[in-house]
Amino acid sequence: MAQIPNLDNSPINLSSIREQSQKELLNILKNVRGKKCLVIDPKLGGSLSLLIQTSLLKENGAELRHLSAEPIQTECSKVMYLIRSQLNLMKFISSHIQNDLSKGLQKEYFVYFVPRRTVVCEKVFEEEKVHHLITFGEYPLYIMPLDEDVLSCELDHTFRECLIDGDTSSLWHVGKAIHKLEFSFGVIPNVRAKGKGSAKIVDILNSLQAEEPVNSSDMGTPEINTLILIDREVDMVTPMCFQLTYEGLLDEIVQVNNGAVEVDASVIGTQQDGKKIKIPLNSSDKLYKEIRDLHFEEVVQVLRERATSMQKDYADVKSTSQSVSELKDFVKKLNSLPEIARHVSLAQHLQTFTCKPSFHSRLDIEQTILELQNYDLCFEYIEEMIHKQEPIIHVFRLLVLLSVSNSGLPKKSFDYLRREILHSYGFEHMPTLYNLEKAGLVKRQESKSNWLMISKALQLIPSESEAANPNDISYIFSGYAPLSIRLVQHAIRSGWRSIEEILKLLPGPHLDLKRGGSTSGSAIDRVPSFQSNLDRVTDGHRALVLVVFVGGVTFAEIAALRFLSSQDGMGYDFIIGTTKIINGNTVLESIISTN
Amino acid sequence: LLLKESWELEMNLLANKGSPLQGPRIRLIEQAQKLFSETKEQNFESKAAEEHAKLLRLQHELEVSTKQAIFVGSSISDTIRTCIVLGNHRAATRVRAEFKVSDKRWYWLKAFALATVRDWDSLEKF
Repeated sequence: MAQIPNLDNSPINLSSIREQSQKELLNILKNVRGKKCLVIDPKLGGSLSLLIQTSLLKENGAELRHLSAEPIQTECSKVMYLIRSQLNLMKFISSHIQNDLSKGLQKEYFVYFVPRRTVVCEKVFEEEKVHHLITFGEYPLYIMPLDEDVLSCELDHTFRECLIDGDTSSLWHVGKAIHKLEFSFGVIPNVRAKGKGSAKIVDILNSLQAEEPVNSSDMGTPEINTLILIDREVDMVTPMCFQLTYEGLLDEIVQVNNGAVEVDASVIGTQQDGKKIKIPLNSSDKLYKEIRDLHFEEVVQVLRERATSMQKDYADVKSTSQSVSELKDFVKKLNSLPEIARHVSLAQHLQTFTCKPSFHSRLDIEQTILELQNYDLCFEYIEEMIHKQEPIIHVFRLLVLLSVSNSGLPKKSFDYLRREILHSYGFEHMPTLYNLEKAGLVKRQESKSNWLMISKALQLIPSESEAANPNDISYIFSGYAPLSIRLVQHAIRSGWRSIEEILKLLPGPHLDLKRGGSTSGSAIDRVPSFQSNLDRVTDGHRALVLVVFVGGVTFAEIAALRFLSSQDGMGYDFIIGTTKIINGNTVLESIISTN
Repeated sequence: LLLKESWELEMNLLANKGSPLQGPRIRLIEQAQKLFSETKEQNFESKAAEEHAKLLRLQHELEVSTKQAIFVGSSISDTIRTCIVLGNHRAATRVRAEFKVSDKRWYWLKAFALATVRDWDSLEKF
């Protein structure tokens, strides 16, 4: 099973995007003649594994290394670095070069920045007096497909950078990425954005279009009909809730990285102690495609059915003499056996977590917080977690949920809980508390909460939900419809106008605009009163909507969108764009880690 | 501006974490505390910095008296736990009093700590 996802079933030609990126990378390699040592930023290495086979790099005469502080041991006289523009990485490189110099080795150095070079980084080399030894270049990888309907910019810290550090360069990156997509698929005519970051991206997109217009006249009708931009800041509730889809649960418990999970070999059942096994997870695995977005309880059922039917077939084969063609069918089915076995083992591993009583009490408390029913109960639950010194990330997740849904915490409990956290986990968490406050995630209550109003107007918590027979996206969280996805639902159904009052209660501005197909780029009209029903194309063609989550998206939200487009009467397919796939823990971790 | 300055100090503090030089670290915290106390809104932070300095002093004392360098850098709760695990109940009670630890937290800590050293008798008693 390859880790590189198969993109053949994609609603638009994403393979072409990947092929373009592959070609660009290979061209860079070919530009440097002969054998060379390619040193890759470890973070990029993960992304590249979804883009290109390592063998292909080796065929082009590259010897592969990961970048670290350690000096590079190589025979090659040409060293190529492929790195993100991060200052600490520049330090590594210049120390490598200085190490070579001190040994009297003469080499050629090439530094390729992904996706573009920055002045600051080159300054580092100037200061270290190695600038003149290096040839610089760029590898413009802005966005890459993670699966047949998911694109990611692989930016880890967008959320933190925008809300805490005040660094909005990642917004430019996203704008550029969308602009690049428009070169392949045409200018997207309808744009709806919600949130500060999203609005900024729309501006950037417009100015990029003005500078470097996509010539839409020779492209025909744009393939993507609508772009919806949702800022993560708008909905911080959803990522804090524990995900219950198969894929979401895998991410929460064992962490999905670059479309694969790594688990102990013992989980899969092979007896190799202590060894880790990497299992690729993408839509190329047919069984996985079927079950990834289902509620975990259903997944267990599906797997059980598969296993039983397999057993029955096996019994049939043994008992009766069958024709060759029947046997052939059976053998064909046997081919899917490894897939079933793999997912049964994974599901079993997850079940060791989901059957714990603490897991259920956590889900219960999440629901109680969302319903805004019993503040004291929630408060005491979190207090007890702190007193028991449970992992601080769990504490923060619930605390953020409580604070966001209540528009902050009353001063008394805000100060009390902060004090208890410092006492239990140490004073070094002061900056974390400060960051959380700055990002508006845990703060003092200043106004009355409007969560109930939002939740009622958008029907986030349906009165009766059937997890087994889902008609609504709320089944994904067993009775909570993700706010972000509800917004998307409204945006495609009737535009922002119908929910304008609710949008005003959520952070950040909202925009609804139509972009002209003309090349001038300035022909962008705001259409305030235009009740823009997405023109449902009558010839049975499905409209394509690109939903971009600025600051990250969770697997559960992706599942909800896939679920929406599979519903009867929905004439839309979704492509999901994101800065990164996240979950509650990874978002908070980026805020907690300080350096 | 003042605010920024004091937070910078606080961040500095983190950078200096793990430095064996106790003196400068406490001084730095006290400096931060002073800055925090100059604005009204930073009441909470100022108090926290004060407590932090106090904790470091106390932990230093404990390290001297027990001759074990295991206290500095841990939280108040951890300090209490360590004291109980070492059987030094008097010190534990003192830390509790110094930082006005609530009954609720105290009971959790004591129960956990006694359970770790399998001191079932004391656990029974309390």
